[in-house]
Amino acid sequence: MLEACGLVKGVGRGRAHRRVLAGVDLRVEPGELVAVLGRSGSGKSTLLHLLGGLDRPDEGAITVAGESLVGCSERALTLIRLRHIGFVFQSFQLVEELSGRENVLLPTRLSGAPPGGAARALRLMDGLGVAAVSDHLPHELSGGEQQRFAIARALVNEPDLVLADEPTGNLDTAAAADLLGLLRAITDQGRAVVMVTHEHDVAGAADRVLEMADGRLG
Amino acid sequence: MSAVWRDARAGLRRHRGRVLLSGAGIALGAAMLATAVVVGFGLNTGFQRSARQADLPDLIARFEEEPLETVARRIAALPDLAAYSFRLEITNVPLGAGSHSSRQGVIELMGGGRRGYGILEGRNLSSRFGEAVVEQGVAHAWGLRPGSQLRIGRLPALRVVGVAESPDNVAYPLAAPRIYLSRAALAERFGREPQPRVNVAEIWLRNRSLLNEVLVQARASSYGIRGLRLVTREGVKVLLDQAAGIVIALLVALSLIALLTAAVMLAASARAEVQRRLAGIGVRRAVGAGRSHIILAQSLEAALVAVPAGAVGVAAGALVANGPSDRLLQTINELPPGRALVPALLGCWLLTALIPVLASAWPAMRASATPPIALMRGAELRTPAAHRLPRALSARLAPLLPALPALGARLVAARRVRLAATVIVLGVSVAFILLMLALASELGTLENDPSALGKRYQLTASLPASATQRVRRLHGVAAAAPRYEVQAADAFSLGETVDVIAYTGNHTTFEAPPLLSGTRLGGPGQAEVGRGLAQVLGLSPGSTLAIEMPSGREARYRVSGIVDSLQHDGRVAYVTAASLLAVEPAAPEQIAVRLANGVEPSTVSSELTAIGAAPAAAGAVVGKGHGLIEALTGILRAVAIVDGLVCLYALIQALVLTARERRATIAVLRASGASAGSVRLLLAGAAAVVVAPAALIGALLERIVLGPVMARLAVNYATLELSAGGGQVALVLAGLCVLALVAVLWVARRATRQSIVSELAG
Repeated sequence: MLEACGLVKGVGRGRAHRRVLAGVDLRVEPGELVAVLGRSGSGKSTLLHLLGGLDRPDEGAITVAGESLVGCSERALTLIRLRHIGFVFQSFQLVEELSGRENVLLPTRLSGAPPGGAARALRLMDGLGVAAVSDHLPHELSGGEQQRFAIARALVNEPDLVLADEPTGNLDTAAAADLLGLLRAITDQGRAVVMVTHEHDVAGAADRVLEMADGRLG
Repeated sequence: MSAVWRDARAGLRRHRGRVLLSGAGIALGAAMLATAVVVGFGLNTGFQRSARQADLPDLIARFEEEPLETVARRIAALPDLAAYSFRLEITNVPLGAGSHSSRQGVIELMGGGRRGYGILEGRNLSSRFGEAVVEQGVAHAWGLRPGSQLRIGRLPALRVVGVAESPDNVAYPLAAPRIYLSRAALAERFGREPQPRVNVAEIWLRNRSLLNEVLVQARASSYGIRGLRLVTREGVKVLLDQAAGIVIALLVALSLIALLTAAVMLAASARAEVQRRLAGIGVRRAVGAGRSHIILAQSLEAALVAVPAGAVGVAAGALVANGPSDRLLQTINELPPGRALVPALLGCWLLTALIPVLASAWPAMRASATPPIALMRGAELRTPAAHRLPRALSARLAPLLPALPALGARLVAARRVRLAATVIVLGVSVAFILLMLALASELGTLENDPSALGKRYQLTASLPASATQRVRRLHGVAAAAPRYEVQAADAFSLGETVDVIAYTGNHTTFEAPPLLSGTRLGGPGQAEVGRGLAQVLGLSPGSTLAIEMPSGREARYRVSGIVDSLQHDGRVAYVTAASLLAVEPAAPEQIAVRLANGVEPSTVSSELTAIGAAPAAAGAVVGKGHGLIEALTGILRAVAIVDGLVCLYALIQALVLTARERRATIAVLRASGASAGSVRLLLAGAAAVVVAPAALIGALLERIVLGPVMARLAVNYATLELSAGGGQVALVLAGLCVLALVAVLWVARRATRQSIVSELAG
């Protein structure tokens, strides 16, 4: 499902240049939940951005669902994100003017999205238990509800790979436990999930835990 | 203070793109303001400046040629004289220089004393033969300078020694080419005239407030002097002032739009910038920075952009407008303001620098008053109520628009005050563009459409009144009536001449200048008078108009109404034919012919010629006014284009601010697979929500408010239909759509070039 080899990424210029990733290799199979654990600034978010095609590596190769993310055009990369990758952000990143349902529907309205988005959105909201509050605006929802809508949005185009950046960072313990259950449910549908976190408890719920240190995965 | 300076400079370095955009906006606003000031100031002060420079007389008397001695004796007897001099004005003289020539030249043979014109280049005439001073319009058009050669009829070639201006008349080519020669020099060469004759007297008074008394005295002592017309300095000024008034009103309004646009956009930009920096401001406040530090740093940052950008804009606007403005002033024989403009331009600079500084200081002041902890937690300057409108709108917009444009519309609508301000700015700009296009188009029609001047007849036939029935029977003639016109003089204020016009029957069938007050002419003994005459003589409905006819008989009329008429600067009176012929039986007559709809004047002209009449087209704007109208039209169109740039700037700023504030939303969309095209769609929706109401407001504002107001302003000259036509509205809407498209493409390009990761991080 996901394969990354020899990923190198630096930030800054001149004397300020710093190598964040120094040759990362990673392989994730369908139905697998992988946690990347590391301290703040260790480069785990940078890795997630590269895996999701939001940024390009200085060196290395990435393949998602058989399609290479390196060397392809911006247009091709956009299509790969649309069809194969879903993102769950730490701060949810819901559009504040749109209701929960409209937020979920947003990726289905993009050009090239698979048909039947509205029905999938309904099913997802039902499944995640937020159908009753789907007309509420984000600021009228609890943190847990917001995160569920964010997950529904990430899944609505049926991606093969879900990337979650500190998904429990803004949640209390109970809501975090719920969320981990949801991520597990996603993998049960045959999708791969990669989440980055700095919390050992959260990482413990994954099938595999990889620790990021000195720009490498251990 | 050094900490404030450091913070301000750091703020500028971090956001160079935004600084450039803000700077461009300030420069554009400043340029428009400077353009308005240069043209407006020049036109507003031009006459007084030129009159002062030219030593324009307080009173100019024109009459048929009379012996100088006779006239001098009469004038010397007038009260309160400071000085007087005489000229002999000879018209229709063949003039030429190089490849240029005219058979309608005017030679002013100048006697001694004060001359009533100002020398712009070279020197004045001496008593040596062979010297000439040329009027500036001729000098400019024919390329004459001191030292150039000039031909006058069969005289030996003359040398140009000076270039002059005199605001008592417009310049060549609006008027005939005018040159000045010394009478003494001619006498030196050809011998002294036994009885010199003159036809112009220039009179300067010690005390201008006594002008009216001098006028009465002059008229009283003018017995035997034929064709006397007295023109006062104020009379010369009237038409030019009124014409300039329209342009000044337009330019002032336009500069206000520019200022409003700049202020709204800069305030919105400053607010968004402060909003973005709230956490940083909170941290600074938490570590001990005072409120004044925050406010000063923000203001200084704005000043560092506004001061140079304002200077560049003011300089650019002044440079761009100076040339056309000087040419326009030259056309109406007025002097450019020169250094007198500097204080006004400095004022513009100050204003354009001050607005952005205040616009930045205000949100900084509000932010610094918020508790630091709230700022660090992400407190916003806006109120939560801002969310309500999008929610209400969402239900309505969702079915109407595709998802992404609808989202764009909702993002823009979320900032209601800014949206309203942008829509108002755009709407007013659109209204002004429409108005200027309509005005430019109407000015064009003035040249060939007599109806614009309130005239409803198209032809005149030089036939006696008895031939009226015959003319009426001609094919294509809708109406015909005898028309009489004489030039009389006001019997009380004897300096004012009045064109008295009379028709047999209802004159409004043929001439219907708009009625300002009172009623239309009701019968013999009544008169409709032009506004120009009413203003000069203090007439109102019910007053008595006493006029002295060319035959010397006096007629009295009760004023029934005041009308707006372009003819003779509004110094006109409509009376019945019977009442005119009763006192002036020899009044010149002709037949006014009104054509049926769709009939070509040439068809009826040939039929009139066949019955022995000499048909003539009813006059529209005097042919000589073509250049002035062309200049005004050019200015209006140029201003419309600059106004279009304001629209573009307002649109770009609105979209940039939306894209900047909602960069995280756009980044989420892009992370979810939105292409550059999707971002363009989103921004197109945002632009549509601004453009659509603005276009509607603009069209309505022009049609309901600006057009009628401007038509009322212009009514002194003409009846103008200043409601923009369908074609003009369509043109402006298409232009607005193109501008919106340009703005969308430009902003989308900027937005999609940003890194998704950094935009997500905020």
